[in-house]
Amino acid sequence: MHVIPQLLASTILLGGIYALIAVGLTLIFGVMRVVNFAHGEFLMLGMYLAFWAFTLLGLDPYVTLVLGLPLIFGGGWLSYRLVMRPVVHASHNVQVFTTVGLSIALQALALVLWSADSQFVRTSYYAVVVRFGGMALNLAQIAAFAVAVLFTAALFAFMRWSYTGKVMRATAQDRHAAALMGIDTGRVFALTWAVGITCVGVAGVVLAPIYPVYPSIGLQFVLIAYVAVVLGGLGDMVGALIASLVVAFVEVVGSYVIGTAWKEVLYLLLFIAILVIRPAGLFGQRGAEVIGT
Amino acid sequence: MRGTWPAVAFFAAAALGPIVVRDAFFLDSLILILLWGASAAAWNVAGGYAGQVSLGHAAFFGLGAYSAALLGTRWGVSPWIGLVVGAVLATAFGFILGFLSNRLRGPYFVLATIAFSQVLLIVASRWRGFTSGSEGIPVPFRPGFWTLGIADKRVWVYLVLVLAALLYLVQLYLERSRRGYQLAAVREDEDAALSLGVPARRLKVAAIAASAALTAACGTLWAQYVGFVDPYYVFSVDLSVRFCLATILGGIGTPLGPFLGAAFITLLETSLRARFGGIGAGLVGIYLIIYGVVLILMVRFAPQGLVPWIGDRLRWRPRLGPTA
Repeated sequence: MHVIPQLLASTILLGGIYALIAVGLTLIFGVMRVVNFAHGEFLMLGMYLAFWAFTLLGLDPYVTLVLGLPLIFGGGWLSYRLVMRPVVHASHNVQVFTTVGLSIALQALALVLWSADSQFVRTSYYAVVVRFGGMALNLAQIAAFAVAVLFTAALFAFMRWSYTGKVMRATAQDRHAAALMGIDTGRVFALTWAVGITCVGVAGVVLAPIYPVYPSIGLQFVLIAYVAVVLGGLGDMVGALIASLVVAFVEVVGSYVIGTAWKEVLYLLLFIAILVIRPAGLFGQRGAEVIGT
Repeated sequence: MRGTWPAVAFFAAAALGPIVVRDAFFLDSLILILLWGASAAAWNVAGGYAGQVSLGHAAFFGLGAYSAALLGTRWGVSPWIGLVVGAVLATAFGFILGFLSNRLRGPYFVLATIAFSQVLLIVASRWRGFTSGSEGIPVPFRPGFWTLGIADKRVWVYLVLVLAALLYLVQLYLERSRRGYQLAAVREDEDAALSLGVPARRLKVAAIAASAALTAACGTLWAQYVGFVDPYYVFSVDLSVRFCLATILGGIGTPLGPFLGAAFITLLETSLRARFGGIGAGLVGIYLIIYGVVLILMVRFAPQGLVPWIGDRLRWRPRLGPTA
């Protein structure tokens, strides 16, 4: 039987993409203490960017990825300036409703621009299957995985070794102390938000050749990212990475055992179970959910 | 009964509406305003008064809608019994949700409620044998008051007016009773409330359960009025957002706020639908863009909502109101 290697390979491919979405979400939470309820909408916009470039300009999604990178980053930065900056220090409820409002507005914008119909990016290679050691893997999925790993690794390296990354980690640890050390936390927040949005936007671009695009597709992916981020401990980037693989594993094995129709129930129940049993996540600090940091 | 005159005026105007105007479009808008206002008021019980901000209240709305629709189509049971069954089910689920998420605060609680409503959405849309899956359920029209097969919209106005008035009174109770003050204490500072001997945990669960039951009742009436239950609508996050949007707009934690917010939203929606509906369905999305922008601007510039804002201008202040 080739089932087990196939399931493992699918888990890793899927988990890599979930990781890129989740890492952006957890980075924003870790540094800014904001749960971004509009995260999925930026994924959706990334997918539509690929779709538009493909149908209007005939650009391949991977070319769009390179050319569109400044656009995605700029869009993230702009959304921070316009929407998030005034509420960075506001209460949780204000932040929740602000990002929810952003989510509604962006979804509706997509509805007006592209209608509610599913759109497809039909590249010439969309059905190419790579066979390797008895496993059959979709080429676009492998490419998406490769891009996701590349970006996640770059982000980790950036956070670990660059001076700016260090500044961001310092702000995550204690924003007041960071400000006292002369760190311009406002700029750090803007950068964090833009980087987090770039991660999820990039994920959107590379997912476009694999999934149909419609205005509310973000929710489907962002729910998975919430599960991964809470499981890994909100704000914990390594935790999010491992948890993404766990969630992908649950999804892949669940689809195989009980069918694709009910797979979402599995990870949602997993999510509720984590929230009830250990809301701080596998690696997070106990009690974070009670303090509501 | 200080401070209730605007509400008395609002409900009196709603009651006079069907007598003065016979236009079906006007009556339809009035019914929807009262229904959405009642739903938002039910959300306000948990989200506003108890501070348990939920983005999963559509789950309870859907439970109410589905209970009556399924009991009616499968076993010919009256929607009134369906309403009670839906409310009982929602109370049970409200207790479960409230109990399980008792320790969670802030964004964690919001995430838990979203996950909860998504589970119900998946069950309703995938369990084909029982719920007819994603196709939804058309509610058959059976003439008579007992079966809620009422063609006369004026009767509907008074039906939902009773529900709306009931919800207003529930909120008034929460604003003026000992229980309400305790809830406000829990909302503002749970640890301080606990240390003063307020049974914070129990109160939160009770508020969520009561809010769930009331939301389910609204769901039942809505489904019977509209005549169709679509799982992707009644269990959607969008619907949950609609409840809290109306409440925030009107004034979170005020008894009249949800109704005024719902009136604003419903009028905006129907007028834009009427204007753009014929040209392109995509343009209907414009009112959703306005929703989103209004929500962002409201929480930033007038987080207490329109009612206290107008109250300030008129030198009249509702007694309580959380600071967002």
